[in-house]
Amino acid sequence: MTEPSEVVQLEELRQQPPLRRFAGYFRLGGPGFMDAALTLGAGTLTAAMLSGATFGYKTVWLLWVSMGLGMFMMAAMARFTTRGLGVIALQDRYHGWVIGSLMTALIGTAGVAIVFNWGQVSLGTYLMELLADRLGYAFPQRWNWILYVALTSWLTLSYGRKGRRGIRFIETFMKVSIGFMLLAFGACLMVTGIDWSAALHGSVVPWLPPGGEGLDLFVASSAAAIGVMDWFLFNYAGLARGWGKAHEPLARFDMSIGLFLPFILINFIVIAVFAETLLPLGIASDAAPNELAERLEPLLGTSWAPVLFYLGFLAVPISTTVGMSIAGAMAIHAAFGWERDTSSWRWRISALLPQIGFLAAWYERPVWLVIAIGAFLSLTVNIVAWSMYLLLNDKRALGDDRCRSRFWNFGLLLQITLLNSIAIIYVFNRLGWWFE
Amino acid sequence: MIDLETRLGPATLRVWGLIANFAGNAALLYGAIGYVVDGSRLSWLLVGGAVTLVSVLSLSSPSR
Repeated sequence: MTEPSEVVQLEELRQQPPLRRFAGYFRLGGPGFMDAALTLGAGTLTAAMLSGATFGYKTVWLLWVSMGLGMFMMAAMARFTTRGLGVIALQDRYHGWVIGSLMTALIGTAGVAIVFNWGQVSLGTYLMELLADRLGYAFPQRWNWILYVALTSWLTLSYGRKGRRGIRFIETFMKVSIGFMLLAFGACLMVTGIDWSAALHGSVVPWLPPGGEGLDLFVASSAAAIGVMDWFLFNYAGLARGWGKAHEPLARFDMSIGLFLPFILINFIVIAVFAETLLPLGIASDAAPNELAERLEPLLGTSWAPVLFYLGFLAVPISTTVGMSIAGAMAIHAAFGWERDTSSWRWRISALLPQIGFLAAWYERPVWLVIAIGAFLSLTVNIVAWSMYLLLNDKRALGDDRCRSRFWNFGLLLQITLLNSIAIIYVFNRLGWWFE
Repeated sequence: MIDLETRLGPATLRVWGLIANFAGNAALLYGAIGYVVDGSRLSWLLVGGAVTLVSVLSLSSPSR
């Protein structure tokens, strides 16, 4: 729960000059940083690497468009959170348990955490093997998964341990991880250099590859920067902090500086590093992240830059595994109406379910499960977004705190339109109506 | 101004608006495929675009 002093601190910070207020909000923020660490996973970074290696800086504008659109939904989450409302309970009450507990919590968050952690473990253990190799040791995936699982499990179970201190510990860990990614990737960018003119052009002039590829890229990138799990985690991590009405400015700061900014900066740096190194060489557009990282290594020149790159890259799956595991446990508890008690076995088991991904050290993810979850997400993420939009405009749910802004609703509807497109394209693909 | 919270059958106008928007999005994308591939389905593209635009602008209105 929030210490009374935090509300007093926030009140005092409002009177402070901007720089001091910034530092204070940065210290008190947390759920936004957790969301950033969750979003910046193996999939997002792979997309950034491929984008830089294939299109150079041309698609940088998609970063701020996608995350900018996502901020409208995050603002809705901030409103629910600072009114002490959990979205699953609201959805269950006004839209039914199929949309709330099932679509949003159990499959959209917990199911995704379990299935998508395979990719994080696969990347994390691969990077550990590579790093050990650079340092002259052999530490293969079939052994190092034990260290990966032990470390991420310990971090996951630290959330809420000793109450508020455990929550702040994990929030700080996420901030440090993001800072480390920035430092490590930023150092590589210092080595590779940057074409500022192309970067600026790509940031402000929209460009897409011609034909169906362009439409696919636009819809996928702009709709999928943040999704159901990010909305859910921000809401429930804020509730765990005991955020109330006085925290609304902090929540806005947290989603802007904690989520928006790191997402843009880290993706931009990764795009730039790959645009400066692999783009001139040409690369297959379906290369895996480990293959991309290995191809990058000789191009970084110095001996320390690849090691730093791998270390920064290792922070990506570790922080994502921890974030997803916490989100999954919260989702299971919210779906079944259980009280969150982080010292209980129920919490520990829920939080450690995604660790089944340790099998990634030997096996690929079960394809049928990935296809099933992917299909479910594609077809339901827009329904969950409809539900959030309706709740934000529902007098029964929010009373006088409901949305009063046409601009806010407009932004939400743009995002909903893009999420609808994901579902429609999925169906068109199955019907053979979409581009080959 | 229409009150979007008015019920029409099983749902409010706001919900029907979301369904109309979805249908408009589908028509727009169906038209876009044809138009990009061989210049056909322009009418689908235009009608879908119009439905999407009108529904998004109408649904932007906050509840009273």
